[in-house]
Amino acid sequence: MKTAKQLGLTVCPKCHKLNNLDKEPQHCSRCQGKFYQRKRNSLQYTLAWNLAALIAFIPANFYPIMIVYQLGIGSEATILSGIGELIDHGLYPIAIIIFTASIIVPLFKITGLFVLVYKAHTGVRLKPDKNSKFYHVLSLLGPWSMLDVFVVALMVTVVELGFVTSVAAGAAINYFTITVIFTMFAANSFDPRLLWDKKLGNKNSMTQVPLLSEKSFRNEG
Amino acid sequence: MNNNINTTNFVACPQCDALYDKPHLKQGQLAKCHRCGSTLIERKVDSINRSFYWSLAGLIFMLPAILLPIMGVTLAGQFHQASLFDCILVLIDRGFFMIACLVFLFAIAVPIVRLSGALYLSYCFKFNRLKPSLLSFFRAYHHLDHWAMLNVFMLGIVVSMYKLIDDTELSVNLGLMAFIFWLICSTMSAAALDQDYIWDKLERYFSNKGVR
Repeated sequence: MKTAKQLGLTVCPKCHKLNNLDKEPQHCSRCQGKFYQRKRNSLQYTLAWNLAALIAFIPANFYPIMIVYQLGIGSEATILSGIGELIDHGLYPIAIIIFTASIIVPLFKITGLFVLVYKAHTGVRLKPDKNSKFYHVLSLLGPWSMLDVFVVALMVTVVELGFVTSVAAGAAINYFTITVIFTMFAANSFDPRLLWDKKLGNKNSMTQVPLLSEKSFRNEG
Repeated sequence: MNNNINTTNFVACPQCDALYDKPHLKQGQLAKCHRCGSTLIERKVDSINRSFYWSLAGLIFMLPAILLPIMGVTLAGQFHQASLFDCILVLIDRGFFMIACLVFLFAIAVPIVRLSGALYLSYCFKFNRLKPSLLSFFRAYHHLDHWAMLNVFMLGIVVSMYKLIDDTELSVNLGLMAFIFWLICSTMSAAALDQDYIWDKLERYFSNKGVR
């Protein structure tokens, strides 16, 4: 199987038009956009966004995300303690949904992208078919971690009964949104084609090595 | 490298860069990449009409979905209800600018822009009013692909209703219904829009006319 890169062609990431590669950045002949054959510095960008997301995830878990005021007395809840409260109240399905959306998905996404970057860079245990499907799942999961932010926003708005009960958002909400948005940037800047390139490169180098040694052997003989 | 391959006869997988002969598809068929399994080209059934009507319906549902109250709460004799628009006003009022911005962007602005973009595109195709500016318009439309989060917001509504139903008396209003319809319409209009067909047609139209 040939890839477009081997024949000097590039695909426009926006309109999927095949272009002959003249110079980078390539000017798309269909949509007039500018693009590169592979996303530029894709692995570095992914790593950087990912790291930033991971750093922002720490305060997101330590600061309170929601503060409930009842008769003027506020009780703070972090993401994890909020989930604990839900379990205490016996609301298991909601506890599972929130735990998945706000703890598992971001962590899964961040570690998953780290693994993908590592694999694409070193080529260790690289299975491009499985890894690119994994990447697809990761990029689909992205927006769902915004769930907690929307829930807090709705609670703040709906439960607004003045002195009796009101809900305020805590500092963690900002860090948490930063985490989610940065992981989305990270997933967008990763280029799954690099996985295939690396695999092909590995294969070629492996098949070329015995050929070369055979030739040199013959030459010597 | 030889740079004189006729690029109209080939397609490449945008996910893995594998090169294929361009398949000729009928409506409703789709071509998948052998190597990574992602969709290469899809010809959707009656794409222009469907996306036109879905996005029109979506824009009609947009105003009630935003302005009508989604749910109300009765606690200790006090009643309070909120719509999506109130949500943003209250958040700004109480100083949570960042969430206010995000809710506005992801749950209001991006879906509206996407819907009206789809409506404009399918309108131009339906009534055959193609302009060169559509090229850059459609390219800009693709920038918003990942950022519409109506479905997440819907789950957020369900979760917060579940949370509130224990301690308070919850009432559901017409806004929720409008919001659900809005969500369905915007999802369907995005799903019905046939990107490959639109790009192909735009390209052929403007290369025949020689307009750039």
